[in-house]
Amino acid sequence: MIRPETLTLAPEHWSLLAPYLIVFGAALASIVAGTLPERFAPGKVVPVLCGFGFLLAGMCSLNACLSPSTVLFGGMMLSDPYGHFLNVLYCLFGGLALLSSYHYLTQQRLRFVEFDILVVFSVLGMMLMTSTQHLIVVFLSLELMSLSVYVLVGFRRSDRKSNEAAMKYYILGSAASAVLLYGMALIYGSTQTFELNEVLARVQNNTALLTPVFLLGSVLLVVGFLFKTAAVPFHMWMPDVYEGAPLPVTSFMTGALKFAVFAAFIRVLLGLDFDVSGVQQWNITLQNVLWVSAALTMFAGNLIALLQTNLKRMLAYSSIAHTGYILIGILAGTLTRESYSGVIFYLIIYALMNIGAFTILSALAGDGDSGMELENVSGLASQKPWLALALTAFLFSMAGIPPMGGFFAKYVLFYSGVQVGAVWLVVLGVLCSAVSVYYYLRVIVYMYMRPVARSGGTLVAVPLTLQVVIGITLAAVVLFGILPNTLLQVVRSLFA
Amino acid sequence: MDWFNAHIISWVTFLPLAWALGGLFIPDKRSDLIRQYTLAGSVITFLLSLLLLTGFNVENAGFQFAENCSWVPSLGINYRVGIDGISLWLVLLTTFLTPLVLLSSWFSVHDKEKAYYSLLLALETGMLGAFVATDAFLFYVFWEAMLIPMYFLVGIWGGKDRIYAAMKLFLYTVVGSLLMLVAIFYLGYQYHLQSGLGYSLYLPDLYTVRLGGEGYLSAQSILFLAFAIAFSIKVPLFPLHTWLPDAHVQAPTAGSVILAGVLLKMGGYGLIRFVLPLFPQAVVLYQTPMLILGTIAITYGALIALVQPDIKKLVAYSSVSHMGYVVLGIFALNTVGMNGAIFQMLAHGISTSGLFLLVGVLYDRRHTREISEFGGIAKVMPLYAIAFMIILLSSAALPGTNGFVGEFLILLGLWKTSPILAAFAALGVILGAVYLLYMFQKVMLGPVTKEENKGLLDLNLKEVVVLVPLILAVFVMGFAPNFWFSRMQGSVVKVLSPYIPAPLSPTAAIVPTQSAE
Repeated sequence: MIRPETLTLAPEHWSLLAPYLIVFGAALASIVAGTLPERFAPGKVVPVLCGFGFLLAGMCSLNACLSPSTVLFGGMMLSDPYGHFLNVLYCLFGGLALLSSYHYLTQQRLRFVEFDILVVFSVLGMMLMTSTQHLIVVFLSLELMSLSVYVLVGFRRSDRKSNEAAMKYYILGSAASAVLLYGMALIYGSTQTFELNEVLARVQNNTALLTPVFLLGSVLLVVGFLFKTAAVPFHMWMPDVYEGAPLPVTSFMTGALKFAVFAAFIRVLLGLDFDVSGVQQWNITLQNVLWVSAALTMFAGNLIALLQTNLKRMLAYSSIAHTGYILIGILAGTLTRESYSGVIFYLIIYALMNIGAFTILSALAGDGDSGMELENVSGLASQKPWLALALTAFLFSMAGIPPMGGFFAKYVLFYSGVQVGAVWLVVLGVLCSAVSVYYYLRVIVYMYMRPVARSGGTLVAVPLTLQVVIGITLAAVVLFGILPNTLLQVVRSLFA
Repeated sequence: MDWFNAHIISWVTFLPLAWALGGLFIPDKRSDLIRQYTLAGSVITFLLSLLLLTGFNVENAGFQFAENCSWVPSLGINYRVGIDGISLWLVLLTTFLTPLVLLSSWFSVHDKEKAYYSLLLALETGMLGAFVATDAFLFYVFWEAMLIPMYFLVGIWGGKDRIYAAMKLFLYTVVGSLLMLVAIFYLGYQYHLQSGLGYSLYLPDLYTVRLGGEGYLSAQSILFLAFAIAFSIKVPLFPLHTWLPDAHVQAPTAGSVILAGVLLKMGGYGLIRFVLPLFPQAVVLYQTPMLILGTIAITYGALIALVQPDIKKLVAYSSVSHMGYVVLGIFALNTVGMNGAIFQMLAHGISTSGLFLLVGVLYDRRHTREISEFGGIAKVMPLYAIAFMIILLSSAALPGTNGFVGEFLILLGLWKTSPILAAFAALGVILGAVYLLYMFQKVMLGPVTKEENKGLLDLNLKEVVVLVPLILAVFVMGFAPNFWFSRMQGSVVKVLSPYIPAPLSPTAAIVPTQSAE
């Protein structure tokens, strides 16, 4: 039932809503600017406009981080430090996506303003998705985000692989959405509410509500998220999608998209707060699902990544493996909510190093993302020493070798697993991550220890925009590896 | 100056890395400048590290020059460094060997020199950091980070199969150390639960953690295995040694020297610093298996060395054999054996480094290391032959050299624990003399068999400068080992305190040394 009085906004709420409005406004303005005649260079105006929107929205969110939790629109939205902190990151990742795609699109003859606009819309979806405890809003914003990305994946219209990827992603993604929605429907059916905290309250007050239907609903909800995060056995879509999508889109997906889905997953789990009395059965079911999925995901992801010779595909499978590590943290989080901070920390580092690595790949990519085989980076260190060094740092970070950020992130994540007693899962995790060292190092072997393979000047100078992206991500990955304390404190305060 | 004195360990540890970063500004083409610059850095580091020796307080068995700086307080991680009588010597060994290694590379490395020398300096920081860290997290960071420069040194400047060797080196170590990481998590968390004082990974704090130690699969035993496997891979203890011959043979001379001279000691050091104080019951439980493995390593390494056609491989397997003694000395669980083990680590660091450098000298001239390619080298390279003889006899544990002191004490300590194994281990001493002298005879003595060898040049000044400090060290350590023992004694007794109810007085335990001379 819609009550008009709940839709009114107090003046102070406007500043809390500002980030969303600004991003939305930037998207609308970009659409208009995109129709400008050629002489106004819409191809330049739109990215600048979008980037400016991200900058402004990010600053507003940063400001809003400090305000206390507020329920908006009668429970449809929730403005709290968690949501706004993530908004800042989404804006950052969105901005990095714009920067890293700028030259790429021109070079690959894909320069259409729709690209930037779709990035903005998907960022808006992410922002909304983690700023709510209302299942319907979660679903709608998830769809907003996903639909934009479906199009982005198929952005190379003339390329069959890109089309295939988009189609596959669309069909399987829709199936996942259906599962998610069905889970939500079942939860609603048993508790008559869409608000997660309300669901929890009702279940606690009346344990008779814990019917098989409700349990099925919550399992479907979890499965839906596992699908979206490409956890094994719901991962089949992902390598093809990552490989077929244009590189900046892949980078955006591994960085921002994955981040957002996990953040929403955490939000749902937090809202339901499985670790309360009276719902142990529920809790145990969830943990079993997560345990098995984490183990399978780490194992399969790493094992298949070992066999890849295409860098893009290898990173795709390694991304599955990282999902597995993250699931350890999620599992720990269902027992002590503090552990979610490890997940968020990991996601930040993971997103940064992935964006960095994919940006380097896009600097090396040939027409239609060709030249992504291992042989193509052979001897890169002697041709492009700085690029090779940066990629090496990202790969060591992904492999979890100190002093890179990836190590500390993994440390926090695995530590949280040990703290909740999932020692054997963590042992499996570290063994898998030892396996992963092999395929990450193999890239370094090619870059540093093999002679230059390709002759001729296919390597062009790295454009400034890419240098900026690589520089930012590299600095962050190294800095957070050596001095992680500040970021960790910030992240922990979100779950205090 | 106060500030400097209060952070002397950090200065010594990070100077090489900072120096290397500064060196990146030197233009690539000025390779002469790069060499001099890095050598200067390592010499300054060595001189700085001497301050640790002069300022070391013999009476204090705990960590000295300690520094403590908050790092990630919410997880109990602090930047804590300090040295005791055990790490002091390993730090000095590292700073002593690094300038020699840099100097030895002057004429043998001509490719990407800036990267090469920078990596060597970065490696020095990694090694020093692992020796001085007193926080488990910090130790782990250095322990793993050290692999990065080593990996590149072997992989880029190594021999024909360098990629395979570098990969193997990296993966072996990583598998072991990741399991150790889980054990560190577990320990840290147990400390939190047991102490109720929040999180800490400071070693003396972790030493207070009590774990159930009943049986071969108790919590303590499993953690013991996690640590012991990580360190045994590094030592390397049979049957986890297979990465070592590959890495040694493929690595450039400097890489081999660092690997044999310092990195292997990291394994022994880890056993002493972590395993013994942390898991007293499990150590007693697993004492016999470890001793047996150590004995097998000695005999097996020696036997394999006996049949090597390649000098460098021979030296590599001799490392497996000699490091087996270290494990025996540590797991003898008495002060004599432990003193011997630490001394053996230092002695082996000197003598094996010397052997690798000497092999490198020969390789630079002939580009082969096959024993059959040589013969009568003593006639054309007399100085070289003398240096080779001295270092080789030290490695074969001739009385009067440093090798003898270590091995003798280890055997003596082991005799108290297990006479049968001591007898087998003593067999290894004989075998050691056999394969080394056999090799010496084939390479050095007799007539000059090959035409190519007739024109070989003897040691040049630079090589003499590299070898003389090592030869001096062989004799000084051989004749005056008490200088070393007196400083390590207190820490040794402390490490062994869970195993020996009434600590011996420092002088009492040194008596065997004097009788050994």
